[in-house]
Amino acid sequence: MSRLDRPSKNKPTQTVDPESYRQRIDRISAIFADIAGRAEAVSKFRCPYRDRLDRCTSKFSCRNQQSVEGKDLSVCTHDGKFDYRSAWETRPESYDRIKARIKENKDRSVAKRKTSKLTSKKR
Amino acid sequence: MTEVTDIANEIIRKEIEEYIERPEEVERNVNTFSRMRPLMQEIAAALIEGNDGVVDQLTKKALEEDIEALEIMDDGLIAGMGVVGIKFRDNFIFVPEVLACARAMKAGMNYIEPILSASGVKPLATVVMGTVKGDLHDIGKNLCIMMLRGAGFTVVDLGVDTSDDEFIDAVEEHNAPILGMSALLTTTMPNMGKTIESFIDADLREDVKIMVGGAPVTQEFADDMGADAYGKDALDCVSVAKGFVSVQA
Repeated sequence: MSRLDRPSKNKPTQTVDPESYRQRIDRISAIFADIAGRAEAVSKFRCPYRDRLDRCTSKFSCRNQQSVEGKDLSVCTHDGKFDYRSAWETRPESYDRIKARIKENKDRSVAKRKTSKLTSKKR
Repeated sequence: MTEVTDIANEIIRKEIEEYIERPEEVERNVNTFSRMRPLMQEIAAALIEGNDGVVDQLTKKALEEDIEALEIMDDGLIAGMGVVGIKFRDNFIFVPEVLACARAMKAGMNYIEPILSASGVKPLATVVMGTVKGDLHDIGKNLCIMMLRGAGFTVVDLGVDTSDDEFIDAVEEHNAPILGMSALLTTTMPNMGKTIESFIDADLREDVKIMVGGAPVTQEFADDMGADAYGKDALDCVSVAKGFVSVQA
């Protein structure tokens, strides 16, 4: 659990009107909804991991990363002219294979559960 | 008429002068910030800069000075986030900066939450969120978390590369009725299905609603994997989670 997720241990000395709080939540939701909508639109041409200084903030490797000597973060070299997301993929055209893998995993789990039920019945 | 110079905080003054271009937004923000106490302006400025440590300290200080929680929300946190939204809309900042600002907002809200709780305001529900095993992409998940928290959910963020056991442990520990999983790669997407199977194996599948999302995920894949719902983006994620809550209520 990160520091941000830890609840405060301060004992509250005041109360809040729930309806007034609900109004604030609506305002925050409206701001965040605008942000999320804009993020979706921007992500079509600009990688969301690229910060305002064009540094890559991702924790994974990408073909568009270019390291800079003496700097922790690499620079994003993507030109915005194509869909950058394929640069993240190891095998982009693999949907059918993945579908088969999902089914395979599911079948294996179901079979395993059946076997364990039979074994426990025999006991 | 109120002027930018009426705002005490230099950072806020600069933010308005440099980044807010529409006259009606300049006027609204000048009016809002100029009537605030300096401490609220400081909280807003720290939030705009994405400095969660400073927002943490200043929110604590404000409550110790008996400033009302709603005033801190209105003037420090929401007003600050409003400026962040404008800067993002106009391409002065991008998603990483927005998420830093959302973390700063959360740092302030951490002090408000016990007051809400004492006032009988309950979170909508607890949602456990994580990117699946083998996947290090977290921005979509983080946007969902920002939206969920903004909507009044408590979110337990497990981060990236999350194993089945970590998901199960978190759902059990926090008694969370909702689990959200994301994957950004076709190669890691099947791990969502594996996690769902692990919940069945652990006899916990009936206790938790599972939503999945991420660029390669579709409704069809979600159905194949046995998820309860698919969220196509951060907005949809909140709608899905709210839908789960209304069904459970």
